[in-house]
Amino acid sequence: MKPTRETGLDIVTDPVRAEASLWRRARFEDDSRSRETLFNRYIVLARSVAARHFGWRRRAVDRGDLEQFAYEGLLQALDRYDPLLGVPFGAYARPRIAGNVADGMKRMSDLDAQLSQRQRLRQERMRSLGPIEAAPADPLAALADLAVDLALGLMLEGTGMVEQADGVDRRPTPYEGLAWRQTQAAIAAELERLPANEGAVIRQHYHTGLTFAHIADLLRLTRGRVSQLHKSAIERLRRRLRHH
Amino acid sequence: MTLCDDIRLQELMTAIAADKGDEIAQVDRALADFPDDPRLHFLRGSLLAAIGRPIEALSALKAAVALAPDFAIARFQLGFFQLTSGEAGDALSTWGPLALLPDGHYLRTFVAGLTYLIRDEFAAAVEQLRLGIATNEENLPLNRDMQLIIDRISELTAGDGGDETMSATSLLLGQFSGRSN
Repeated sequence: MKPTRETGLDIVTDPVRAEASLWRRARFEDDSRSRETLFNRYIVLARSVAARHFGWRRRAVDRGDLEQFAYEGLLQALDRYDPLLGVPFGAYARPRIAGNVADGMKRMSDLDAQLSQRQRLRQERMRSLGPIEAAPADPLAALADLAVDLALGLMLEGTGMVEQADGVDRRPTPYEGLAWRQTQAAIAAELERLPANEGAVIRQHYHTGLTFAHIADLLRLTRGRVSQLHKSAIERLRRRLRHH
Repeated sequence: MTLCDDIRLQELMTAIAADKGDEIAQVDRALADFPDDPRLHFLRGSLLAAIGRPIEALSALKAAVALAPDFAIARFQLGFFQLTSGEAGDALSTWGPLALLPDGHYLRTFVAGLTYLIRDEFAAAVEQLRLGIATNEENLPLNRDMQLIIDRISELTAGDGGDETMSATSLLLGQFSGRSN
């Protein structure tokens, strides 16, 4: 695809100053959006560290688990890095991420390793969406809503906007159903319209694969609040998609 | 407000020009004696920006403008620093009071040009930046910076065949061009 056209602002933006501006806002002005932007910028670094450890592993470990440890290490590095010291963040963060992945692998019990990170994310998601009220006025409608919400989750996982953890591109082939592609495009459009915090939770959970606890750390929210934002985002998407 | 006297300021500038590597320490010593002198904060900000300490540079430039809101060149440079940090909204807010400069003042013209640039209105941006360069005789290094921007715009627009609006077909095909399986 043709690269995005350069804008006037691109012409004058100095990447070092632009990154310093993000650090200033994240660190000294407590701006969680800038913190998220920095996290997104360095997520490739975290994944590459996790991938190296995946190659060295001595027992069955889910690659997703290694990535969670890498993300955790990245979040800690974001908090501890001093942007005034002049050390590039990548050089500072890489050994810390690697250390966190190595420690995480040691801490993992065999039982943990059996339950894949993907399964854990789905359990967490399910808990956020439920439980259905004890006696809903319309039980069938409540069940249908839950089914749609879970299906939405599966579609969000496969929107193909980001590469999956295993590196496989799961975007639809041109031969796959038009309706599926249209729904996916509608979801992508609706994601852009979500309130900022809801959009951030959905992006980080479904696209990056972060647990609610890590999203809470990233956005400076409580885990309960992240779960609420997830639920309300999914409900909002469901309501809006009904009009498509 | 006690200002650093001109002789000491001149000595400071001469020492900085000697490039011994202790410029910041020298300015800090002067600032310890004259903490409210906006020129010293501006000088400190410019030096910090030049040696790649942007977070502290911004603070120093902001301090200069806060102490002397009419210090036009400091205000322009603070806005330009914000612009080059990708903070276009902050830059426009900083530059706002420069609209009160006389019509035809080079800083006002440069701001007009850079504002067009932010809006991607390249022809108008180049026109205003050229006009500013033609009228600026007091701050020649600034002309060099603005000329660099004009050159960059020329490079960008030279390769522009007018096909930036992608057709729906090419968008759809492009979507699948990067498949790995």
